[in-house]
Amino acid sequence: MRIDPAVKKETLYILGTSIILSVVMELVFWLVGHMDYTVPLGNLLGVGISVLNFFLMGLTIQKSIGLDEKAASDKLKLSQMLRMLMVVALAAVGVGLPCFHALAVVIPLFFPRIAIAFRPLLDKNLKQQPADDTTLD
Amino acid sequence: MELAIGIILAGCAIGAGLALIAGIGPGIGEGHAVAKACEAIGRQPESKGAVTSTMIMGCAIAETTGLYGLVIGILLIFVAPNLFVNILKNAVGK
Repeated sequence: MRIDPAVKKETLYILGTSIILSVVMELVFWLVGHMDYTVPLGNLLGVGISVLNFFLMGLTIQKSIGLDEKAASDKLKLSQMLRMLMVVALAAVGVGLPCFHALAVVIPLFFPRIAIAFRPLLDKNLKQQPADDTTLD
Repeated sequence: MELAIGIILAGCAIGAGLALIAGIGPGIGEGHAVAKACEAIGRQPESKGAVTSTMIMGCAIAETTGLYGLVIGILLIFVAPNLFVNILKNAVGK
């Protein structure tokens, strides 16, 4: 199956921002003095869950675009329920097992939301750049 | 003491169940958004890329609401019982 360029672009954006935010989070853990091997492991699991969840959501949206309204709505409701179950199961594993730091698993789940909150700033910069170039020319 | 611990565990379990109800709302909202997006793309097929991109972001924002409930539920199941039982034991010990 071919992945839609919009899905690929947004997933890569979320992945990139999640990596940057992960570095910031690990720095905070290091500064607070709670840094051990469980933090990067938990961070890896948390980022993996959130990016996988986002990518699967994008794929579902891509598939449901061609359907009629009712079928698309039902497909996304089912997908959301299954993805939520996946997140619950994986996050429970991350919080339950001692080899993962519970906070380092839970915090990255909100990274996509933070990435989207910063998105308008990035879009504004990208839109301003060509305009600036034309004025210079 | 056993009764108090039982009440704490029951409260945590009921609270976690109630928190996970928050997962229902985003599903309904996302379904509604996708239905409207399909309608928009049907009307203007050339806007498919822009609509898809905006919808993915919108759905991700909607889904965060469910994740808040999920995190609260997980904390109530895995973290809160030990914490509250320890607080109770310390209080009774004093």
